Amino acid sequence: MATIIKAIDLVKRYPLPEDKSRTFAAVDGVSFEIFEREIYGILGPNGAGKTTTLEMLEGLNDIDGGSAFVDGIDVAKDPFSVKQIIGVQLQASEYFDKLNLIELLDLFGALYRRDIDAMALLASVDLAEKAKARPDNLSGGQKQRFSIACALVNKPKVLFLDEPTTGLDPQAKRNLWDLVRELNGVGMTIVLTTHNMEEAEFLCGRIAIMDHGKIVAEDTPQSLILKHAPDPPEAPLHGNIEDVFLALTGHALRD
Amino acid sequence: MLSKLQRHLSKVFLKIFLRDRQSIFFSLFFPIIFMSVFGFLNNGDSEPVSLGLVNNSDSGVAADFVNLLMEDPLFTVTAGAEADLRQQLIAGDQMAVLVLPADFNEPGAAPRAGTQLRLLTDAAQFRQLGLIQPVLEQKLIAIERQFRGVETMFSLAIEDVQARSQRYLDFLLPGLLAFTLMQLSIAGSGFNVVEFRRKGILKRLFVTPIQPRDFVTAIVVARLGIVLLQLSLLLAYALFVLNVNIVGNFVEFYLVVIFASLVFLNLGFCVGSIAKTQQAVMAIGNIVIFPQIFLSGVFYPIEAMPALVQPIAQLLPLSFVVSGLRDIAVDGAALAGIVPSLLGMAIWFVLGFVLATRMFVWKDVAI
Repeated sequence: MATIIKAIDLVKRYPLPEDKSRTFAAVDGVSFEIFEREIYGILGPNGAGKTTTLEMLEGLNDIDGGSAFVDGIDVAKDPFSVKQIIGVQLQASEYFDKLNLIELLDLFGALYRRDIDAMALLASVDLAEKAKARPDNLSGGQKQRFSIACALVNKPKVLFLDEPTTGLDPQAKRNLWDLVRELNGVGMTIVLTTHNMEEAEFLCGRIAIMDHGKIVAEDTPQSLILKHAPDPPEAPLHGNIEDVFLALTGHALRD
Repeated sequence: MLSKLQRHLSKVFLKIFLRDRQSIFFSLFFPIIFMSVFGFLNNGDSEPVSLGLVNNSDSGVAADFVNLLMEDPLFTVTAGAEADLRQQLIAGDQMAVLVLPADFNEPGAAPRAGTQLRLLTDAAQFRQLGLIQPVLEQKLIAIERQFRGVETMFSLAIEDVQARSQRYLDFLLPGLLAFTLMQLSIAGSGFNVVEFRRKGILKRLFVTPIQPRDFVTAIVVARLGIVLLQLSLLLAYALFVLNVNIVGNFVEFYLVVIFASLVFLNLGFCVGSIAKTQQAVMAIGNIVIFPQIFLSGVFYPIEAMPALVQPIAQLLPLSFVVSGLRDIAVDGAALAGIVPSLLGMAIWFVLGFVLATRMFVWKDVAI
């Protein structure tokens, strides 16, 4: 399997909120490799450094230490070329609210200097009937699907999804998972962050678990479960503390 | 001149801005009210002076004098008793009270030299006295001449070499237009950019291979279209409803308007780049806008300001615009005649564009 993304010892420092003269590492020496055509998940609690890691790969955030390569291109040296071949869905993004979906997609197409079939793109994310709607009038799930459509205008090699299903209802979540699998099925590499375990298990070929700016484990979901999940308990507990209390102190009334 | 992408982006932003019709028209509200106030209330003629007149004499000369004063459009004369008029003077209803003494030329007697007329004034209105006194003296001399049968030797005929009527509104229009242009332009680029940043739109755009140059150019071009639409409406109102005069070439006047808008759109971008939040952009915008309203000769010429402030005031971007537009509108100058103003604007334009594209920050999404 060919490597498409390589992160070597990535570091991102931010000033401490309580003391601006000192810094802390939001991403603290992260290395990984992502292969072509896989779905790679970065899993972790809020504040673990998932989004910052993605932003460094996307050329959105300056890299303070280490290096990152996308399709062989050094992100720090040539972010412009990297941006040509990736698609990005940000965690929360709004769009110009005075434009409808078709106009917005055409705008994004123009930014990549491409003529696109906006209607076909909308149809591919199941939003054809919303072509003339404004983004403000979309539901949460529709908004996420539209964000993905925007990320697809340049037919990217790698698609980055930052918490794509956060805040969606179960149907919308399922629907989005199907879309992600479909895109992966036609050969797109997908990198996503999530704190939804079920999502990671269902979608990802491999998972990296991040905490405090470091990767604490990386493997396929199955191996991770085998390695780290606790053994099932011997026998289920029954009864409660009152039973214990009564067993130890007897049933007799005391006055 | 513009690349294909810049043209496309400009069209998109034009569409976005045009769909915000409310703000396009509401921002014209204030300048239109302002111009109308000056246009309708201050129609070039100064208000007549209210003058109380106490005639203690029953001579024909006194009566003639009273008639002469009453006919004069400069005064609104109220005749009455001294005590009443004194009260009115104190109340501020009269500007001054003129008292003709009982011996103001006794009946039948020849005109006498040295009769004294008393003029009662209120110290609060002292400034006006300077205006009234010469006029009154002029009247007295005229009457005296009539009585003595002396022919006037000299007379002054005022002839306007530029043969035009100059109202304060004619002077004000270029200033007000320049000021409105500055406000619309700075708000149009700066405030928009901060709004885009706040919403995360800038960050989303930055994920695509967009260049700051293209983005800045497209917004400036699109906003220029909107600002020119607004200014044209304003100008049409001034020219056709308020009958304001533009002496010089209208096309040249309009070219300066376009150039000036570009200058302030760029400066607005700088403001939008420094400010991270909506409140900050308001504050910084006001810091840029307010001093210029008072220092750049919008309402009165820069020459009327303290000598110490003048050299600084003259270097402000709005000063160059106001003086350029005013030279054309009021004095009929041609473009070749306002080269210093154009040069000043050009320097601010380059400065603005360089700063706007350099300082422009995509990534920081202030929330």
